Amino acid sequence: MSSTLAKRALGPLSILVLALLLGYARANGPRARFAQAIAALSDTERTALGAGPGIAIANAIWALGSEDAVRQMLRSELDSLPETEGSARARVFVRFGIIDSNPDGQAAVFFQACASDPSLCDRARLITAAERETHARLVEPGQHLPLYLLSGHPPLP
Amino acid sequence: MTRAHSFGLVWPYLAAAALGYLLGSVAVPVLAALSGGGSNTPHARVGFVLREDPHAPSPEWTALDTDLQAVRAPLAAPQRDVFDLVVAVRGLDNGGNSDWSRAEQICRALTWPRCDRDALSQLKELSRP
Repeated sequence: MSSTLAKRALGPLSILVLALLLGYARANGPRARFAQAIAALSDTERTALGAGPGIAIANAIWALGSEDAVRQMLRSELDSLPETEGSARARVFVRFGIIDSNPDGQAAVFFQACASDPSLCDRARLITAAERETHARLVEPGQHLPLYLLSGHPPLP
Repeated sequence: MTRAHSFGLVWPYLAAAALGYLLGSVAVPVLAALSGGGSNTPHARVGFVLREDPHAPSPEWTALDTDLQAVRAPLAAPQRDVFDLVVAVRGLDNGGNSDWSRAEQICRALTWPRCDRDALSQLKELSRP
């Protein structure tokens, strides 16, 4: 009796397994390849991927956005980035310094960049980082290194 | 053999095929996502593609549509429009083929200083995370 039942169930069960595999492959073939590619990354890289869309948006605004759009984006980034994200916060401060037209403001913001990422306390590295950002900006203001980085703070009267 | 008898023999196979396909395409991926932790999320997949070379799209990009919607939905304006602009220049919803006219339209709606083709072409590279 049970052997007959098992024989009758075997056919539908095989069909169920085949259909399951077919459904999974059709719906998730490309996603499975994504999953494999993501799984091959290091833990740090995997964690960083999640921030990718936000960084792409910030980069796009930095590249082409109006001054108002850039300022709004930088403020919002500073609000959302935790203190532990030192290099990301430093990049925001460098961008802020580049679009700031006031040498006092530039000095304060570049000091904050140095505090967030100590490697930027070295003036040459700070200038390199700022140059990278000015090359990534396609509209004014922000396409040139600020006066503070070119010649230091202007002499006080 | 009557028609009813034939149906009685066939229906378990039909039901098994339908149930298997449904489980494979919906339930198994949901369970896999739940057990896989937070690394394989829509944000991570979109982030992964954004990081790739914009001039060498891969076939996996065709599977991004629902992920793009998931990333876009919680964004508020103007970030949402900027995200749409990035999607258009990178061709993320079009197999890597940039949609320049849509990109220009979005850029102009944002009232940005430059929306010419040359600037948008450079944005394709510059927006990479």
